Amino acid sequence: MELSDANLQTLTEYLKKTLDPDPAIRRPAEKFLESVEGSQNYPLLLLTLLEKSQENVIKVCASVTFKNYIKRNWRIVEDEPNKICESDRIAIKANIVPLMLSSPEQIQKQLSDAISIIGREDFPQKWPDLLTEMVNRFQSGDFHVINGVLRTAHSLFKRYRHEFKSNELWTEIKLVLDAFALPLTNLFKATIELCSTHANDASALKVLFSSLILIAKLFYSLNFQDLPEFFEDNMETWMTNFHSLLTLDNKLLQTDDEEEAGLLELLKSQICDNAALYAQKYDEEFQPYLPRFVTAIWNLLVTTGQEVKYDLLVSNAIQFLASVCERPHYKHLFEDQNTLTSICEKVIVPNMEFRAADEEAFEDNSEEYIRRDLEGSDIDTRRRAACDLVRGLCKFFEGPVTGIFSGYVNSMLQEYAKNPSVNWKHKDAAIYLVTSLASKAQTQKHGITQANELVNLTEFFVNHIQPDLKSATVNEFPVLKADGIKYIMIFRNQVPKEQLLVSIPLLINHLQAESIVVHTYAAHALERLFTMRGTNNVTLITAAEMAPFVEVLLTNLFKALTLPGSSENEYIMKAIMRSFSLLQESIIPYIPSVITQLTQKLLAVSKNPSKPHFNHYMFESICLSIRITCKANPEAVGSFEEALFLVFTEILQNDVQEFIPYVFQVMSLLLEMHKNEIPSSYMALFPHLLQPVLWERTGNIPPLVRLLQAYLERGASTIASAAADKIPGLLGVFQKLIASKANDHQGFYLLNSIIEHMPPESVDQYRKQIFILLFQRLQNSKTTKFIKSFLVFINLYCVRYGALALQEIFDSIQPKMFGMVLEKIIIPEIQKVSGQVEKKICAVGITKILTECPPMMDTEYTKLWIPLLQALIGLFELPEDDTIPDEEHFIDIEDTPGYQTAFSQLAFAGKKEHDPVGQMVNNPRIHLAQSLHKLSTACPGRVLSMLSTSLNAEALQYLQGYLQAASVSLL
Amino acid sequence: VKKHSQHMKLFKNKGKDETSLRRQRVEVSIELRKAKKDEQILKRRNISIHVKEENPSLGQDRAYEIIQPSLEEILEAVNGDDTELQLLATQATRKLLSRHKDPPINQIIELGIIPRMVEFLGRADNASLQFEAAWALTNIASGTSEHTRAVVEGGAIPAFISLLSSPHMHISEQSVWALGNIAGDGPLYRDALIARDVIPPLLALVSPATPVGFLRNITWTLSNLCRNKNPCPPLDAVKKILPVLVFLLQHEDKEVISDSCWAVSYLTDSCNDRIQVVVDTGILPRLVELMDSPDVNVVTPALRAVGNVVTGTDQQTQDAIDAGVLTVLPRLLRHMKPVIQKEAAWTLSNIAAGPCQQIQQIITCGLLPPLVELLSKGDFKAQKEAVWVVANFTTGGTVDQVVELVRSGVLKPLLNLLLAKDSKTILTILETISKLFLAAEKLGETEKLCLLVEELDGLEKIEDLQNHENDMVYRAALDIIEKYFSGEENTDLEPQTGQDGLYDFSVEKQDFNF
Repeated sequence: MELSDANLQTLTEYLKKTLDPDPAIRRPAEKFLESVEGSQNYPLLLLTLLEKSQENVIKVCASVTFKNYIKRNWRIVEDEPNKICESDRIAIKANIVPLMLSSPEQIQKQLSDAISIIGREDFPQKWPDLLTEMVNRFQSGDFHVINGVLRTAHSLFKRYRHEFKSNELWTEIKLVLDAFALPLTNLFKATIELCSTHANDASALKVLFSSLILIAKLFYSLNFQDLPEFFEDNMETWMTNFHSLLTLDNKLLQTDDEEEAGLLELLKSQICDNAALYAQKYDEEFQPYLPRFVTAIWNLLVTTGQEVKYDLLVSNAIQFLASVCERPHYKHLFEDQNTLTSICEKVIVPNMEFRAADEEAFEDNSEEYIRRDLEGSDIDTRRRAACDLVRGLCKFFEGPVTGIFSGYVNSMLQEYAKNPSVNWKHKDAAIYLVTSLASKAQTQKHGITQANELVNLTEFFVNHIQPDLKSATVNEFPVLKADGIKYIMIFRNQVPKEQLLVSIPLLINHLQAESIVVHTYAAHALERLFTMRGTNNVTLITAAEMAPFVEVLLTNLFKALTLPGSSENEYIMKAIMRSFSLLQESIIPYIPSVITQLTQKLLAVSKNPSKPHFNHYMFESICLSIRITCKANPEAVGSFEEALFLVFTEILQNDVQEFIPYVFQVMSLLLEMHKNEIPSSYMALFPHLLQPVLWERTGNIPPLVRLLQAYLERGASTIASAAADKIPGLLGVFQKLIASKANDHQGFYLLNSIIEHMPPESVDQYRKQIFILLFQRLQNSKTTKFIKSFLVFINLYCVRYGALALQEIFDSIQPKMFGMVLEKIIIPEIQKVSGQVEKKICAVGITKILTECPPMMDTEYTKLWIPLLQALIGLFELPEDDTIPDEEHFIDIEDTPGYQTAFSQLAFAGKKEHDPVGQMVNNPRIHLAQSLHKLSTACPGRVLSMLSTSLNAEALQYLQGYLQAASVSLL
Repeated sequence: VKKHSQHMKLFKNKGKDETSLRRQRVEVSIELRKAKKDEQILKRRNISIHVKEENPSLGQDRAYEIIQPSLEEILEAVNGDDTELQLLATQATRKLLSRHKDPPINQIIELGIIPRMVEFLGRADNASLQFEAAWALTNIASGTSEHTRAVVEGGAIPAFISLLSSPHMHISEQSVWALGNIAGDGPLYRDALIARDVIPPLLALVSPATPVGFLRNITWTLSNLCRNKNPCPPLDAVKKILPVLVFLLQHEDKEVISDSCWAVSYLTDSCNDRIQVVVDTGILPRLVELMDSPDVNVVTPALRAVGNVVTGTDQQTQDAIDAGVLTVLPRLLRHMKPVIQKEAAWTLSNIAAGPCQQIQQIITCGLLPPLVELLSKGDFKAQKEAVWVVANFTTGGTVDQVVELVRSGVLKPLLNLLLAKDSKTILTILETISKLFLAAEKLGETEKLCLLVEELDGLEKIEDLQNHENDMVYRAALDIIEKYFSGEENTDLEPQTGQDGLYDFSVEKQDFNF
């Protein structure tokens, strides 16, 4: 592309089209531009347009297109073609700075961004004159130009704030410092002087203060990695000026806007950051200046208003004080009683006040309010900063600070008492103050875990919290209600139980409050109280103590879900779940109504599941209803099926992916409740469960395996008789699972159930194939997890079909296979098996191989008899071998398929641990002794001679112990 | 080799190598900071007045000061044949170069009189002239590298070396000083001096009878001959100097001791073989003793020397431990000077990088309480090093040792430092926290540690770091949150199934032992 007028014209046309709202026009134009952007001169044409075009809109469009072009193409990636030709690169670098500086602000910003992208790649080596070019502009006296330079410098240098120290980085910084630090300092001084000469010129001041902000930001970047020699030598200049800027005020710079921070606030805020940086990192050098800054910042706080626009400044300023007052060598700055009082009175108390903005959030944006207030995402708020300062001061001055605040708390409470409807905010502040003063450590799970002993929490609770909650009108002073409920919640471990019991009906009552925050807090508080532990590890609050409130609790909880804004309130749903779990059989009378409401809710939310936590607790609640009811009355399972299956069918048919894993779990639970043969309604579903599409989703696998296991437990013979044609499909699922390193254990769960429950003849024809499949996996990619599951499986097989059957099937696959598996897998690896039931299965299986498998006694396998016995004794007596070979350490990362809805396991759908040998063998050691005794009776002398010649002494000793315990001896 | 394989084992699968564990003194060769005030001086100008007392012509001095000759006059006199005028001009030059402010070194060099001055050094018949020339040249050499080069290129090296054996002590002493300035310029001139055999005559000056002032000069020059890396001084030179340094370290004068320690610290700031050469002299116990000196000018270099030794092999580190370094470090970690705290913590971090037996000695010698103190209240530079101590400790320590570390209260200050304005420190802490969690997992105490981290306000700091600009920091934070702090509700819910198959509330993990 030549730099011709014709090309400029064409480009203008296309750029114009890219702004067209009609995609039919816009898209082809964008495509065209992309297709020509590889041509030489293309970027130069754009630069020409953004400079010279007659139309402003084309100028702006060209500048944006240029920046995006640079962003996509400037970086030279190794092994990929250079996308911008060298002469264009040189021309861009030669022209862009002056062009940026002479452009109007809108275009200047785009070009400034482009410069910093180029700078990131080329600066300093490939763009050596950039700095000089920029610094020279400082002399221009034109602050539009200067601000352009400063903004560009800021975007080039701000990465110094977060990158790791390296030779390369520091070389660059040093270069920048050498060229930039002195001119920047001079500019700083000059700008400040200009500020005083133009003190009465509002528009000039605005430009100058924008420069000062950028200069202060550059200071932060340049000083971040280490304290540069230049800035150490010039600390006096910088700090003195920063200090005086902190104390400066000028009416002309004040803004009317209440929300948006003005220039003055932004500058002071950045200065606080700069001071904090020096205080933290360069304390030794900064020490002489620090007290002055403490005073200035504190005065700043005293004189700054409550408007939102000051929030960042105030919270930065308070955090600065908070970080300084914790340092032992600055303790003295705060020690004086008057100082402390003044900080408490003028800095902390005012910033704890509930402001109009908080009130707005409380009413109109309750979700955000709850998140901030309850879950602690309040890091940048004033209240939080003030709270941190209280905690910082308490480190050295707990007594005096507590004393000072007690006075304030009392006077605020008195104010409130005089006229509650006008002064309720005073009480809110009082409660907040008590809370921040008293809490020393806190977790979500336990509330406050360490409290200030100087605060009498119970007394405050009884005198000032309970009365509010006892008031007949739940909708009066909602903020105070929320405060009170929160107080119970966080100090639940400090307030005595009898007080908590008094509070429970009050909390239940507040579930009816209209305010979302209030009823949400009430639900959350109840849920937290119900999870508290008393002595003996049972719940602190018992079902008996709750008996009088069951009905009202359940009614109010479900009613709360109908209040506006709370139809999918996760706190309420969680409280429902927790209440069920606590109350157990006392909820049974209410189940019919409860399950109807839950089903309706389920139906409604399944249209568009959006609150994962809410949904999860809802399914947990359903599971609890089923378990609690069916435990008392197993027949009730039918009515649950009746209530739920319609919705479940809809969920499955509509493929509501979020809910399917839950549905399978609830179905498993229901199916397991059946005592008799599997109902036909389930059998109709069976073929659908084997459909591959379901198994492709990772999240479905565990609950589906669980469900199929339930089918096999309850309906193996029905499957064998009525669905024999589905058995290959079932085994296909097994094969699919076994192929994956991540899911193979699930495959074994399924296989174990098949072997355990299916009538032998129904799987006879598949058995050999099953083993071949397992051996292949063993050969090609064996992992510890696989071997563990494999060992459990073959021993289970041995228990079910006999040791001889195991030997025969192995050797029928390949001669001497049985011996090889014994020698290479079972004997060396059996130690790795973990889990009590798993170990027991292996013990019984191996005992059978030792004592019920004739080839072990009279073929070449005999040489493995002693090593196998030794391995078994090892399994009994040695600690588990949990060494995992190195390469498997990463198995999860490599093998986890792409992200899908993770399996959401329901705690209350929990499966009982199943022990397939439980009936047969109680104590596997004694079982070994008895079996050996039987074997030695059959062939006297042989067992004893093998033992005495080859078994190692320690193992022999253990074995003798088993024989003694079983009261048998060997012949 | 043993250390190597051990560390490789430790870091297998972690994508690290041993270099990241033991940290040499220089991480970055670029410095942004002001040259350290605690460093030893590289070059010195002789501006002392007491030398005048040795000069009998005090009155004359005054006279000439009043009629200070111009540079032209100096040039003429120096190049002339009048010995008297030569002396006066040389003296005038020396005085110009010795004045307190702005000595005109450049102008003197530009006069081109250096070769002439060097010539004067050889005038054994005129001790005064020799002395004045030596002094003037010393002060020229004390300037920038350019200045030193002018002196060397004027041929001063052999002249000064032969003056070491001058019968006049003040001349010999001035030569020692000049040579010190030349050696201090860098490895090039240092090795040029060594190649010219400066060491034997220099060492010959050391005897019990040498006056203290003179001995200080000799020690300082020796230290400059040991100084600088890339390359480090030739091995046979070091072997010649070391016995004398061992002798000087026993001297009672603080300055002699201080400069000797500096010399040793330079020699140990090197590869393990060079460290071994120093260790073999048996000097470690004395160095450790000096670390405990009340004089900060002695403590600084002694600590550096020992700190360098423990960057070496496990055995070299053990030798330092056997010499008692761990009994002195607690006091140094609490030293009032931040630089000392920082060096002490750096030293400790390298001991913590050793095998678990050495980590055990750290515990036994009571280093944990001062470490925790430093971590919570120390200067930032020292805190950064203390973070490394903890990081190395948790990497190499046994589970029991890590438990001991946590029990000492390290977690709170460590988590507080997540607010540090330094990405690397933050990352190191996050990695350390991950390692603590691994240890907790082994003990089945993960949940306890989660609660502890949350209670100490660590959780919200880690959560906040998920927004950090630095990619590695953000990922490390995310990793911890995902692994240990998400789905907290599920562990909360996980019930034990009782005999009746129903949920019961009886599960609780055992007490956390931390």
